[in-house]
Amino acid sequence: MESLLSDDLLRQLMAAGQVDVVVGVPTLNNASTVGAVVHEVHLAFTGPFKRDRTVLINFDAGSEDNTPDLVRRASLVESETLVAPEAFRTVHRISSPYHGRPGKGGTLRALFAAAELLDAKAVALFDPDVTSLRADWVARLVRPVYRDGFDYVAPAFTRHPTEGPLVTQLARPLVRAAYGHRMLEPLSSEFACSLRFASHCLAQDVWSSPFLSYGVDIWLATTALAGGFRCGEAVLGPRVQAPSAERPGLPELFRQVVGALFTCLEMHQSYWLGREGSQPLARLSDGPLWNPEGTALDPAPLTESFRSGIRDLRPVLERILEADTLAEAERVAAVEGSAPDFGDALWTQTLTQFAAAHHREVMHRDHLIRALVPLYLGRTAAFLSENAGREAAAVEERLEALNLEFEKHKPQFVRRWKAEQGS
Amino acid sequence: MAEIFLDILRETWANYASAARAFLPRILAMLSIVLVGWLLALLLGFLTRKVLGWIRVERLSERTGTSELLKRADLPPANHLAGTVVFWLVFVGFLLSGLDALGFQGVEGLFSDFVRFIPRLIVGVFILLAGLLVANFAWRACLLAGVNAHLSGSRLLAGGVRILIMVLAAAMALDQIGIARGVVLTAFAMSFGAVMLAVAIAFGIAGAGLARRLVEDQLAGKEKKPPSDGMSHL
Amino acid sequence: MDDLWYKDAVFYELHVKAYCDGNADGIGDLPGLIGRLDHLQELGVSCLWLLPMYPSPFRDDGYDIADYTSIHPQYGTLDDFRRFLTAAHERGMKVITELVMNHTSDQHPWFQEARSSRDNPRRDWYVWSDTDESYKGVRIIFTDTERSNWAWDPVSKAHYWHRFFSHQPDLNYDNPAVREQMWEVMRFWLDLGVDGFRVDAVPYLIEREGTSCENLPETHEVLKEFRRRLSESYPGRMLLAEANMWPEDVRPYFADGDEFHMAFHFPIMPRMFMALRLEDRKPLVEIIERTPPIPESCQWGLFLRNHDELTLEMVTDEERDYMYQEYARDPVARINLGIRRRLAPLLDNDRRRIELMNAMLMSLPGSPVLYYGDEIGMGDNIFQGDRNGVRTPMQWSGGWNGGFSEADPEQLYLPLVSNPVYGYQAINVQSQRRHDSSLLNWMKRLIRVRQSTRVFSRGSIEFLKPANHRVLAYLRTLEREQALVVNNLSSTAQAVELDPGPLAGAIPVEMFGRSLFPRIGTTPYVLTLGPYDFFWFKLRRI
Repeated sequence: MESLLSDDLLRQLMAAGQVDVVVGVPTLNNASTVGAVVHEVHLAFTGPFKRDRTVLINFDAGSEDNTPDLVRRASLVESETLVAPEAFRTVHRISSPYHGRPGKGGTLRALFAAAELLDAKAVALFDPDVTSLRADWVARLVRPVYRDGFDYVAPAFTRHPTEGPLVTQLARPLVRAAYGHRMLEPLSSEFACSLRFASHCLAQDVWSSPFLSYGVDIWLATTALAGGFRCGEAVLGPRVQAPSAERPGLPELFRQVVGALFTCLEMHQSYWLGREGSQPLARLSDGPLWNPEGTALDPAPLTESFRSGIRDLRPVLERILEADTLAEAERVAAVEGSAPDFGDALWTQTLTQFAAAHHREVMHRDHLIRALVPLYLGRTAAFLSENAGREAAAVEERLEALNLEFEKHKPQFVRRWKAEQGS
Repeated sequence: MAEIFLDILRETWANYASAARAFLPRILAMLSIVLVGWLLALLLGFLTRKVLGWIRVERLSERTGTSELLKRADLPPANHLAGTVVFWLVFVGFLLSGLDALGFQGVEGLFSDFVRFIPRLIVGVFILLAGLLVANFAWRACLLAGVNAHLSGSRLLAGGVRILIMVLAAAMALDQIGIARGVVLTAFAMSFGAVMLAVAIAFGIAGAGLARRLVEDQLAGKEKKPPSDGMSHL
Repeated sequence: MDDLWYKDAVFYELHVKAYCDGNADGIGDLPGLIGRLDHLQELGVSCLWLLPMYPSPFRDDGYDIADYTSIHPQYGTLDDFRRFLTAAHERGMKVITELVMNHTSDQHPWFQEARSSRDNPRRDWYVWSDTDESYKGVRIIFTDTERSNWAWDPVSKAHYWHRFFSHQPDLNYDNPAVREQMWEVMRFWLDLGVDGFRVDAVPYLIEREGTSCENLPETHEVLKEFRRRLSESYPGRMLLAEANMWPEDVRPYFADGDEFHMAFHFPIMPRMFMALRLEDRKPLVEIIERTPPIPESCQWGLFLRNHDELTLEMVTDEERDYMYQEYARDPVARINLGIRRRLAPLLDNDRRRIELMNAMLMSLPGSPVLYYGDEIGMGDNIFQGDRNGVRTPMQWSGGWNGGFSEADPEQLYLPLVSNPVYGYQAINVQSQRRHDSSLLNWMKRLIRVRQSTRVFSRGSIEFLKPANHRVLAYLRTLEREQALVVNNLSSTAQAVELDPGPLAGAIPVEMFGRSLFPRIGTTPYVLTLGPYDFFWFKLRRI
């Protein structure tokens, strides 16, 4: 019988036995960074979690650069377990090749299944290429689950408000308006969750759908919000990711992230369609959310992409956007200047009309999402040029205004979404 | 003389009368066949519309984009169109069998030809429809890929691809139906060549920038950096 | 609320008089019981079954009822009962009471009226005859004390019918007025909030000439009528039948799911004890395999011990001899056709055997019923006459009267068990609560694990029958959930090879400690068990 967990992995799990905390690190060719990540997790295990039973599980999707060896060697192995002088217990570190359905979704499923078998109280996941990861990240994410009964803890990263526009301009306001929870990082890879939540996720009939292979992060976050689980947020610090050749370009990234987000809206519509307003998530650790240092960006190329996109994609956009929204976007694109005047209201209209069109499936959904890219670039250019040189606090106010615009617009969004269901 | 003339006249008239006597029922038969056919065609057309309506073909055609195509061509919705097609197929079939009933030389066999022609016609129509869908899909995919890769002539390129596929589909459809094969082949070869040329030119214009960038990057050993990816979006 | 709650319930049977005395008169009462509900909630039981607490001359331990709609003053008042119900419900526990339908006490006003004259309107509420020749051949149940099922009433100069003691005249269920009155009695308690009834002596309601007067179709009609009214007016309430018979004979009492919700499975119990003594699974497997399937909404009630003797009616003579030999060498321990002992003394106070028997009780198909005191391994006093030896006061602490009562020890309705092994100084709730490894805490864990899944309460059962017959292994299955139970009935360590057939590919997760066991492959799966050891595995397929 085909199994998610290999016999070898099962033997390693048996050796670990019942545990309190499981930390998962999925890898694929991360030799340069994984050692440090494993080291930090180890520090957490021998520090804040010294008295608890812990295990690190590495699923490797077929690295060709010895990543699994590095994971094991980082633990001075003797048959996968190590007796660290500073640890009370035998520290368990498991590395297993992952042969299942490719993509992060499958790895996560295996991790959840392993956690369920081990009866873990908390499960956390960390990316192997985050160079700014510190041992206290583990503690900050895991402790609320382990000690205070939270079901899902999302990270909050310290960043300049102009950084990460895909989060600040798109995911954050849309998730907040739809789900009614002010989650700062709905797209983050890192999280910690309870076994109750992991079991709930395992029981869902979604694991064979292809979008999970890349959209599992947003699916987990929104499932936690929509499932009535106790959610919180822990401030971790800045997130710095090592450069990688394997990271996809913007159109592909867009297809993965926005496609997954729209799909989640579809799956959770019975939850969010009837909700109003929004609440902040419980803030579980202190720390600065705003980094005064921002990267200066040139909005000009983004503007150029926006203008040519509007020009060339008219026949496609016609079928997605309503006539007045498209006309407004074209008007904005036609005005000369370094950056378009792509305001909050227009962006809200645009994004929600795209979401509704995705719901109605007016065309191949990948095409629809790719058609959003130039508009997103236009909005980003507008935001960047408007806020260049401003104080972080002022930019933060602008972001909040955008969030509120989305919330204000929600009834219209819901009407649009429902109307298109009927026709 | 007059006698002979009269005889001939009488004979001719008699012949004509007997021929007319023999022919008149055939006319009536034809008319009745055509009438019945018309009624039957109306009924079948109506049923087709209703049945397709019930099984919600409209949604399917909306999903596949057929509706959009029909709208653009100023054609009625899919189920109405199918109803009309069924009406005409049935009606023409009866019309031809009515003509057969007249027993004219040259028209006999038209009906059986027509019946044999129908399946090919249907396959032809399907090929055409599928071609249109594929062409549309490829056009949009090309356009979006081009725009997102910042190619300046992506509209031209995408349009070329669409025309190419449509021409190919049309040629295949006509070939299937069996109309003027030689002409179609020649016309296709000509238009294919023309389109390929157009595509080449389009790519030349559109891709020049890209090609230059690629070559430059390659020569300079620089990292590939599309303009919009100079920043982290996440 | 789930209307099928009784399928997942763990029942706890108790005497009000034996549980706790709230007013220092030496007899347990409802206020005392209310004060001990926290213990029951902690234990994890989900339904309390109260033995009769009605006014009664107590000639049959309260099963001779003199007033159906009030509480015996010794136990408290109806208000006390209301407070008790509220308190139990607040703690998530249901309550069922006794419904003694078949007969009343001869002290009951109905019988007093009926016997007062032959033309009294209540005359026809009981079964009268001028001769004692009717219903010839109907068996006499209490052969030790009764000669006939007819008794002479000197007042009205006629014979009346009784299946049990002669002071318990049978009600006449052919009379619609009696049926109506009994429904009024049920309504009275249901309106108070009682969640169901354990219905006493159900096979004997109707008499017909030329029959055994047991299990008659007319009796089923009467019972079905009660059930119909109950389901219509009080959905979610439950009827539990007491019918000490073979499972195939009890089966009709479930009818098509429109008669009783539950019935006790009497013959399983002596066979569990037999299997343990024989160190062989055969008797237990046989009795379960001959148990017919019951409707989806119905459930068996399983128990190890109750307020009566360990009944050996449902075994052969030879089996009974064996049981007497092994479990009641002392003839004083024998009564009627059974053994009047509690669980712990029956099992030589062997903790491993007590655990194994309880674990089997909790994992076999049915709702388990615990008898008060068995959760701490209380002993008995077989010298107390009748079955009073298993009805001694609950042992709460090592202090005055074992924490049961503030009264003078001489005043207690029965003396506490006081020998050095089972006495209240040694065996009591307070000391066991303090020790993690006590039987009480082990029972709590057992109940918690059982209640963590519905596979034990609702799942099907399939015996695995490994070659080693000392090992009893079965697979419980509910939809996609599976639990594998392996019991070592022997006093020595055993190895067993399980046929992987239905198990192949599963990962066994031990349910108490959540330890992983190696995945079951395609070759026989080897397990080793210590003496009286058992495993509960949840089978995971990932």
